Amino acid sequence: MMAASSRSQVISLYKAMVKASSRFPSYNYRTYALRRVRDAFRANGKVEDPRAVEKLLEEGQQMLALIQRQVSIGQMYGAQRTVVE
Amino acid sequence: MAARVLQQCVRSLARPSLRLCPVSAALRAAVAPAVGVHRPVSFAADSRRTRWLGQSRISSVVVLCRQYGDLPPLTLETIKDRVMYVLKLYDKINPEKLQETSHFMKDLGLDSLDQVEIIMAMEDEFGFEIPDAEAEKLMSPEEIVQYIADKKDVYE
Repeated sequence: MMAASSRSQVISLYKAMVKASSRFPSYNYRTYALRRVRDAFRANGKVEDPRAVEKLLEEGQQMLALIQRQVSIGQMYGAQRTVVE
Repeated sequence: MAARVLQQCVRSLARPSLRLCPVSAALRAAVAPAVGVHRPVSFAADSRRTRWLGQSRISSVVVLCRQYGDLPPLTLETIKDRVMYVLKLYDKINPEKLQETSHFMKDLGLDSLDQVEIIMAMEDEFGFEIPDAEAEKLMSPEEIVQYIADKKDVYE
């Protein structure tokens, strides 16, 4: 059932989420998503209980799917570049 | 050894044409196919040639290696410089403490998530994907340079 050890699953989930978040066309969504992903992974880094870890991984997968959907929607409707970019 | 042979060829071919025109199409065509095979060598041949051309007061610089819109060839030095440059830009690393052999976790005090971010920055810099299984083993700048050199077939 476990494709890989939970540690490497967490690492690949983090990598996938950061990659997906950096594809947001909108500056605000992109910076927020990257910041939120980083903060969430750091805050939950100390969790030891395997069931809690599994539950967090599940949530992470759903969030990853959400980010990917929102990225696709954002890319459909182009937005103007903001001044900060 | 191939470099020496090549340089002798360039010298013997360039000598008669030094007084006439700086570059003849025939000369370039003759040397380029040989140079095209040994891409790392083209730097040495190129610098020799431009030195003579400078001596004979000819200002044009000839690039012997035909690159057809490809990136310049990688050498171990350039890979190392680029890796260190990217690492110095990372805000969690102290640039003074950064050495080639410094371990990310033991010497620089980063954790595994930071290491993932560093590897992603390397992927962006060099333009190719690094799979997760191999990425989590790269723990120092030296190992990264070795891995990239392996993947890109850079040898000295």
